[in-house]
Amino acid sequence: MKRALLALAMALGLPGTGHAETFTLPPFTQAYEPQGVDERGAWMMADEQERLLRSSKFVIRDDGLNHYVRGVFCRTVGQDRCANVRIYVMRMPEFNATMYPNGMMTVWSGLLLRVQSEAELGAVLGHEFGHFEKRHGVFGFKNKRTMSDVMAWIGVAAPQSAGFQYSLLGQVYAFNREQEREADMIGVQYLAASDYPSSAAARVWRRLMAEQDASASARGRKAKHGYAAGYFASHPSELSRATTLEAAAVRYGDEGDEGRAAYAQALREWLPEFLGDQIKRNDFGGSDFILDQLASDGWTGSLLFARAELYSQRGNPRDYVTAAQFYAQAIEKGYAAPKALRGLGLAQLRTQQTEQGKASLRQYLQQSPDASDASLISSLIGN
Amino acid sequence: MGGMMGGWKRLSAWAACALMMASPGLAQEKTGVKSGFILPPGSARIVLMRPSVIVGAQSTGGMFEPNADWTDEARRNIDRAIQDIQGQLGNSVAAYDSEAEEAGALSGEYRSLFTSVADSVREYQFFPGNRLPTKKRDKGFDWSIGTDVADLPGLSNADYVLFISTEDHYGSTGRKMLQIFAAMGGVSVPTGLHKGYAGLVDVKTGELVWLNADLQMGGDVRTADGAQKRVGQLFEGFPGRTMPLAQNALPGLAQP
Repeated sequence: MKRALLALAMALGLPGTGHAETFTLPPFTQAYEPQGVDERGAWMMADEQERLLRSSKFVIRDDGLNHYVRGVFCRTVGQDRCANVRIYVMRMPEFNATMYPNGMMTVWSGLLLRVQSEAELGAVLGHEFGHFEKRHGVFGFKNKRTMSDVMAWIGVAAPQSAGFQYSLLGQVYAFNREQEREADMIGVQYLAASDYPSSAAARVWRRLMAEQDASASARGRKAKHGYAAGYFASHPSELSRATTLEAAAVRYGDEGDEGRAAYAQALREWLPEFLGDQIKRNDFGGSDFILDQLASDGWTGSLLFARAELYSQRGNPRDYVTAAQFYAQAIEKGYAAPKALRGLGLAQLRTQQTEQGKASLRQYLQQSPDASDASLISSLIGN
Repeated sequence: MGGMMGGWKRLSAWAACALMMASPGLAQEKTGVKSGFILPPGSARIVLMRPSVIVGAQSTGGMFEPNADWTDEARRNIDRAIQDIQGQLGNSVAAYDSEAEEAGALSGEYRSLFTSVADSVREYQFFPGNRLPTKKRDKGFDWSIGTDVADLPGLSNADYVLFISTEDHYGSTGRKMLQIFAAMGGVSVPTGLHKGYAGLVDVKTGELVWLNADLQMGGDVRTADGAQKRVGQLFEGFPGRTMPLAQNALPGLAQP
């Protein structure tokens, strides 16, 4: 809708539609074929990878979820661009999405767990598509090759010039960071041209920084958020990305519905699975932070269960006390899966509530007599 | 320009030869056969997995530059050469049919697994100076990719699976020039990689019964003749082979 208005405004020669800055997306070439030896080689390797990936066990094949993620992507970058991309939703708990030179994109479940609206998801997917549209893969490869060629010659001709080689190596990373910055800008421009507000893009990085803080603090460390990235960093620092994207969003000044409620609705049935994966990452602070974010509208039974699992996984004696409370609250809130009773019983057994624990485990066995751990659990009950 | 390039190529080929002669001959073994394994001609049904073929150049700095045209060409050449050599293998060899979508990925995973196992065999058993205690010569040839390989769709009637993989990085002109200049200064810069593996796996046990693995294979797979030579080398010491080639009549590790 906003796109149509923008086009209309431009066709009429109006000075603008209240936007501080407007632009048109460049036309997109359909059925682009790779050019030159390097690009064709890169596409060949990506094609081989896609042959394997498309039937990998890590790909989530659920039609509903795939359709939804694709829909968000298409609404962000527009139909013509979206049609050329194959999206694979991967069951991977890290915050990531990847783009291959041949138009294959992977979206990791850890990303879906962390973003909180369609606009935020669109910002990341638009960033990835920016890499594809600008053919960053092949240019990055060429740059790396040129630098490594020069370094090889210097290594032979002037072996004492380690400092110069070091600076060349730094340039490879700097080039990569520059590509990331460019992709960030393209991503936020897609958002500005879409129905989603471009202000969502920066929030992804702000929240990631907060998660890193929480994760570090639980490990007794301090998270560092410098504006400048490290010399060997492949990406700009989160802080500089957030700041730059915020400034861009102010420039575009666009508004729109972020699609928060729709996103929460679409992810509801997947959250328990993705949270389970996240909790197994042994990152107490980070996982607790994510749970807190998800519970901003109140703790549901499913979130309470995940929180109980998080505490019992850390496994200090005091953690079982907390875990038992969360399991009980989850059950109270209607969380019906028998594994809540199992967790409750085991936590109770470990916190001197032997009889209550046995009772909970007995209830667990009644509800799922064929559980794979049934014999183990009965031995704990002792009869 | 062409003449100059040719000159450089000749010069660099000369330099490569000089380097090779200068380097000490590594007593790297290339072939292994499971103790007591014999494959009488005409006795087994062998299925050939889709060969893994990667061809590209090596940049001056040593980076691999995948080349789609060379890889296409090499795949065609190698397929043809395998067909030509079939009559000499003494057993029926059928190409694996990976039509089923799921089998596509699973067979790809097994290709990767085979390459990893073959890498380990080469590193920890074929190289005498680097043998693991359990992989000494008197311990025989004992490697497996697991019994689950029998679950690959389409292998129900097969006795053996044949894996083939080749990877070639052709040194670019720049790399060869670097090598020459480095050699002048007494520094050795390796150029090119020509790695080829062929292995036979028993479908019922998952055991690797024969492996041929070499990091310095001959034959330019980008040409038909070169591919013939490469495939001939890959099948050297093949247990069921009717043509006498390698000394693999004795069980245990065959000599290269």
